This record gives sequence, C-alpha cells and structure tokens, in this order.
Amino acid sequence: MKIGGTYAVPFVPERAFELLQDPAVLCRCMPGCESLTKTGDGEYAMQMKMALAAISGKFDGKVRITESQAPTQFRLAVEGAGKIGFMKGSGLLTISPSGAGSNVQYDGDVQVGGTIASVGQRLVETTAKMLIKRFFDKLGAET
Amino acid sequence: MATTITKPETLFGKRVRRQEDPRLITGTALYLDDLKMPGMHHACVVRSPHAAAKIRGIDTSAARALPGVAAIFTGADVTGLGAVPCAASIPGLRVPHHHLLAQDRVYYVGHPVAVVVGTDRYIARDAAELVEVDYEPTAAVADPEKALAAGAPAVHPEWPDNVAFNFHQEGGDTEEAFRQADVVVRQRITSQRLIPTSIETRGVIAEWRAGERSLTLHSSTQIPHLLRTLVAGILGMPENLLRVITPEVGGGFGSKLNVYAEEALMAYIAMKINKPVKWVESRRENFQATIHGRGHVDYFELAALRDGTILGLKLKLIQDLGAYHQLLTPVIPTLSVLMMPGLYRFKNVNADVVGVFTNCVPTDAYRGAGRPEATHGIERMVDMLAQELKMDPAEIRLKNFVHADEFPYGTATGLTYDSGDYAKPLHKAMAEAGYEQLRREQAAARAEGRLVGIGLSTYGEICALGPSIALPAGGWESATVKVEPSGKVTVLTGASPHGQGEETTFAQIVADELGVPMDDVLVVHGDTAVVQYGIGTFGSRGTAVGGSALYYALQDLKAKMKKFGAMMLGTEQVNFSGGYCVDEATGKSVTFAEMAVAAYHAKKLPANTEPGLVATHFWEPPNFTFPFGAHLVVTEVDRETGAIEIKRYVCVDDIGRIINPLIVDGQVHGGVAQGLGQALWEQAVYDESGQLVSGELTDYALPRASRMPWIESSHTETPSPVNPLGVKGVGEAGTIGCSPAVVNSVVDALSPLGVRHIDMPLTPEKIWKLIEGARA
Repeated sequence: MKIGGTYAVPFVPERAFELLQDPAVLCRCMPGCESLTKTGDGEYAMQMKMALAAISGKFDGKVRITESQAPTQFRLAVEGAGKIGFMKGSGLLTISPSGAGSNVQYDGDVQVGGTIASVGQRLVETTAKMLIKRFFDKLGAET
Repeated sequence: MATTITKPETLFGKRVRRQEDPRLITGTALYLDDLKMPGMHHACVVRSPHAAAKIRGIDTSAARALPGVAAIFTGADVTGLGAVPCAASIPGLRVPHHHLLAQDRVYYVGHPVAVVVGTDRYIARDAAELVEVDYEPTAAVADPEKALAAGAPAVHPEWPDNVAFNFHQEGGDTEEAFRQADVVVRQRITSQRLIPTSIETRGVIAEWRAGERSLTLHSSTQIPHLLRTLVAGILGMPENLLRVITPEVGGGFGSKLNVYAEEALMAYIAMKINKPVKWVESRRENFQATIHGRGHVDYFELAALRDGTILGLKLKLIQDLGAYHQLLTPVIPTLSVLMMPGLYRFKNVNADVVGVFTNCVPTDAYRGAGRPEATHGIERMVDMLAQELKMDPAEIRLKNFVHADEFPYGTATGLTYDSGDYAKPLHKAMAEAGYEQLRREQAAARAEGRLVGIGLSTYGEICALGPSIALPAGGWESATVKVEPSGKVTVLTGASPHGQGEETTFAQIVADELGVPMDDVLVVHGDTAVVQYGIGTFGSRGTAVGGSALYYALQDLKAKMKKFGAMMLGTEQVNFSGGYCVDEATGKSVTFAEMAVAAYHAKKLPANTEPGLVATHFWEPPNFTFPFGAHLVVTEVDRETGAIEIKRYVCVDDIGRIINPLIVDGQVHGGVAQGLGQALWEQAVYDESGQLVSGELTDYALPRASRMPWIESSHTETPSPVNPLGVKGVGEAGTIGCSPAVVNSVVDALSPLGVRHIDMPLTPEKIWKLIEGARA
C-alpha cells in the first residue's frame, strides 16, 4: 500500500538530514522504538513495540539507509517481524528548504502480513500516517 | 386384539416442529468442543503468515522448552503419510502433492507448517508462537486473471503457467447459432470468493486405543464414512479399525464436505503421543484455512433473435482454485457448466473452463457449489438481453422457458431435466408481488427521481446428487430401519444430516409408512461404528436420496411385518396400515407392538421368514432432480449514500413435494440470507501480496438478522419422478435464486443512469460511485 505526505520541521535541511541519520534521535522519535543499534554503514538493528487495533507485540527489525544525498534525500527501508506478523516498508525522503526550516516529503510503500494483516489491514494506512506524524512532531522538538 | 381402528392422518406435508430443536436451543446438545476425554491434550497449528515463501528452517527448541508441551510435529514428520485427497478425475488435471504439513515451501497464508501439542490449549497456543520458522518470502499471486498473465509468479514452480486444468464442454452448434443471431450481448461477470463461515468452526478429537490398535476420530464433518475411508488411506491403517463419530455439527454449507489435513494430523498425533488430542479451529484459522467458495471470473456471450428467442451461449470461465485441490475443488466449475442453460430451451452451449492456481486457500463446495455462479451468470445475461431488446424481463423468460409438456427435457449440456412447469412459479411470484402494479409504481417513483428497481431470477438447479456415475464417490444413500421388540423404531441413516432437520423429516416418513407415533422413532446418524456405510449430506441430497433409501427399507420391513400379522391372524387377506395388521374379512387386527414381539420371540415364524425386524436399503437415484423457481425483488437505492433497501422479497420455489413446510421455510430463509450475503455484503479479499485482508468477522460482512428483509415465500409443487417421495431438495434453492434477483433489481433501479451491470457485492460505496459517475 502506498503512503506519502509532507511534514514541516523547524531545521534547515543540513540539520534535518543530520538528525534523520542519527540512531539515537531516530529511536527517540520513532513511536514504540526500544533500541536502535548501528550494525554497519547505513544499517541498524531495531527493536520496537507496535500496536494496531486490538493487537500489539514486539518487532525485531532492520533499518537501512540508502540513496543518501546530503542534505536533500535518502531512502529509508524498514522491515520487522514478530509474533503478530511482519511489516516491510520503504520510502524516499526528500528534504527541501522552507522558510526558516525545511519540508520533508515522504513517498513509500508499506506491506504487512500475519495477524496484523488479517485483523487490522484496514487500519494500517491510518496507523502508519499517525505514527509518521508523531515521528515528525517529536523530531521537531529535538534541539 | 382390537377391532376398531382410526386411521391417523399422514404427517407428509405437515408443519411438524423439529425433533432436534429442544436440545439445540436449550444448549444441551453436544458439539465437538463440548467433548472431553481423560488425559486429553490440545493441538495448535502453526500457520504461514506468507502467501509464498521458502522454508529455510524451523527451530522448535524454545517451544519444546515450555513446560506442558508434549510434542511438536513439522513437515519432516509426515513425509511418509499420504496426501490430502482430491477426488476429481478431470483429464490432464495437475494435482500438487498436498502434504499434511508444508515441506520446503508454503503456498498460502494459513498453510499449516507445524503442530504443537500441549497439556492445555493455552500452553499449545503459547508454544506455537515460540516456533521460529525461517521464511524466505517469494513473489505471490492472488488474482486468477493475473495468475494467467505472462510473467506471473508461479504458484507451483513446476507449472509456471499456473493452469491446473482446461475443461471444454459443448452441445449443439454454437458458431451457427451466433451466425444466425440478430443480437449478441457480452459481459464479464464475477462471483467473488466467499467464506462459508459456519457458526461452529471445524474441530477434531482423535482417540487412540493402543491395546485394540483402534482409533476414534470425532470430527465436525458432513461425510463421516468418506472421511473414515480417506483418513485410513492417508494413515495406511485398516479402515475397520478407524471409527468416525460426528457430534452435533453447527453448520457446514459444503465447507465440511471435505477431508482436511488437520483430521489426518490429529489421528496421527494421537497414535504418536498415545493420548487423546483435540484441535478446535479459531475463527481466524477458519477464514484462512477452511475452503472458500465461488471465485469465478466469467466471460459470457449470449446470442438471440430480435424477438427475444435465445439461440446460444458462450462462456469462458476462470476458476480461482487456490494453491491446492481439496476434495472437490476442480469439480465445482464443471457443475457451473452443466447448469449454464438454466431453464431455457436453447440447445447451443460452448464453455471453456480454466482452473487457475493462486496463492490463496483452496476453493471448493459452498452452498450451491458452482450452480449459483452459473445461475447468476445466465440470469444476468438474460436481463441484459431484455434491456438491449427493450423487452420486459418476465416476458423474455416466459418466451424462452422449456415448455411444461417437454419433460423429460434433454439439455445442451447433457442433462435430463426430470419435471417442471417453469412458468408457474414465475406467474405466481408476479401475482403475489402485484407485478403490473409494481411497474406502475416504479414509473411514478422514477418520475420523482427515485431509484426503484424490480428484479427477477428464474433459476434451476441440480439437486439430489446423484447417480453414482456423476459423482466421484457413490451417488447412492443408505438406510436401516429396526423395529425394536418393544415396537419402538430406530432409523440409521448414512446421510449424516447436520442441521437439515432429517431427524424430524425421516420420523415423519416412518410414522406415515409404519403407522407409529413420530415420538416412537429415533433417527441415528454420524457414527461409522453404528451406521452402515453412507455418503453424506450435501448437494440437497439428504431427503431426496437418503429419504428414498429409507422409504424402500420401510417397504421391505412392512412386507415382513405383514407376514407376521397374517400368521397371527391366520389369514392371507390382511391389510397393513395405521400401525395395525387387519384381517380384511373379519376386521380383527393385531397391533404393531404385537407383531414386533412376535418377530423377536420367534416361537412361530411365517414360512421362509427369519426372526427380527431389520431392513437395510442402499438406493441409487436414476437421475438428479431439478428444482426451479422464481424470485422477485423490489429495491430502492438511496442516491446520496448508495445504500440499498430491499422493499419486497417474493420467492416461489418448486422443490417437488414438500414433507415439512416448516423445515422448508427454514432452508429458504437461510439460503436467501446467504444469497443476500453474496449479492450485497460478503467478499473474501486477498491483497496483492496474498494477505487475507478480510481476516476476521470485523472485516467480513455476514448477513445479520437486522438486515434481513421479510421473505414472502411460497411454493408450487411439481413432483419429481426420480424418487418415490417425489421430492427434489431445498438446501441450496434460496442461495441460488437470490443473488441474480437482487442484482437484477438494483441494475434495474440504476438503469435510468445508464448502468448495465454491477459485480457483487453491491456495497454502498460501489453504488454511490456509479451514481456519482452518472452525475459527472
């Protein structure tokens, strides 16, 4: 399923790009993220909690950053699996200056499977949008 | 000896309340999950979350470490066992080996990968979550038309075109018919995948008695005897050491007319762990792993003359089979082809079926099994033809019906329709609905800008399956009648009813034939150790075939009782009726109970007569029966929301003679409910990657009582010459007649907007978009 959106952050593109590549920042801002550890160049291991409708559970996953062109764009790929199913997502983030800050545009694909697909698929899109919005809200509060 | 006898009135045709209902509605009936065995363990099935993946490895160590886990089985444990059986015999059919558990690949979401057995069901479930399966997902395809496209992912790598079989049938000269045609209407029509959703899901308890080397399998099934034969085959055990017991079954609708991996797995596991083991399917598993129904994409072409005479039909039928063949999967679309001519006289049919593998759970028989799809198609096409020719939909049907004096009627697809008077139910439905008046009201409503539709379907169906030549297993049914020494009567039926009310219907037949009170009759079924071999209940066959077997067994028994009566009365001139044997000359009589005692005490026997009163009859019908009927539906569509209101639902079903009108009402109501489900709400949805999106009852819109219209149900009765009872079968009539009538009605409502066809389900969103599209 396709998801996309544009979010304003109060940082110049260079600072936004830097924050978006910092594992500690990413983990602080990602809803449900319990740990994010760098495992290689642009590769991270992630543990997160996820809740969708009546189901919740832990995910073990990987985050990969590719197509990185500082400070304007990079591709973020996330995949995780747990007892409640699996999810895979990949999105291109484009950062452009906007006034004193920047706009971050996101275009991607999300796929879910297992219990979360059979029980909560119709909520995936709205939930994903909500989580991404919360991520950028928190990112905006970083200093 | 009594001398005055009052002949009781017959029960055939009476609205007798169901004998089954007191235990069912007071909650005292025993279903599979109510059964408990000493030392019973519980199984939980680990299922694939992927539609297609390679299995790189399975790690069960964490699950095994959980206290209370008794055993875990994976694909490697069952390679030596037989496969899940498919009974179809279509030439050239590709049959993937259907292992009880996945081997190196999974092919659909819900594919069983492992079974975890624990001391209670919670432990089993917790442990199942600890089984680590290392999957390597591969590309999946969930749509049958996409699966046929070049370059589509192969469901089974050995067959990259995803084609399981091609089947062709033709009758007459369709090319010539199309050359002569003034008009040809064409339409792609889908019958969406449906989830049968019996209220009781599947469930199995297997009990192994090591000392006797015997196994008892309790299963919620429609076919206990066939299950016994086939599971014995899978396990390689002697059939006579396997006993299948069917407890109360909470609905099947065809979904339990099958042999599932779990049935054989539980039997195997019980032997392995030497403990009784129970598995009860959860609702989510039921949606993912019990067969689905329908799943057609049909391309129709109907040729006709300008006066409305239909000349011929062409059909390209694409059947979504899913990843495997269950018991009858490939057979179902061939039934659709047989039913293609509907009730009409045209003799030219050309049909091509392609069965397509997809990464979905298999499709198979679901209430109507191939016939609703066919009826929906032909009834939609006839309406489109009427629209094209600006003819009234009733008029075009009446013009094309097989005439009442043409029976038995041979169809273009090789069937012989047994009996019928097709105009009769249509005229009756039109009279009861006030068709002319409804059309006037519709015109007035349209003048006000309201969207009111009137829809018809005149359906035929193939019931009372059937002669043995037409079925993969036998097409007969069996009955044993025992008059006990006390005069009570026990019936053993091989038909294994599961909600059809045959404990009542059969008791009515016995009461009429033997002249005993209904309450003296017990109908026993569903235990292979007690009941002689039988085929089962499906295809509207329980009463028409099983009831007829019973009828013939009763004739044998009556003849024998008459001999005892004659001996006791000391004359040959006796009448057996009303529970007495009467000396025609003197009026002296002996009672039913006195004859029963005489037969068992056996101090004196009639010539060439054995003691006891037991008769068994296996009866095979010479043909199918062909019920028919007319459904008329009035709808109004809300322009602003797309919501559909059913204002009238009138149905006249001719199902042959009716034994119990109350039970028939129940069958019609239930059938119509499921037909409405398909027409308006239900749809099994797989997404592009093969995930089942409609995975729970929250996302799968079953019909609810509050949404049911008032059903104005009545009948015409054209007896069937096929069986001695003259009955035809009613289990599927409502479902088959319903969906085309509803869709025809809604299309009629929207026809002023230029709408010609809408695929099911007619969700408000779909309707609203059509209305908005017409505005733009």
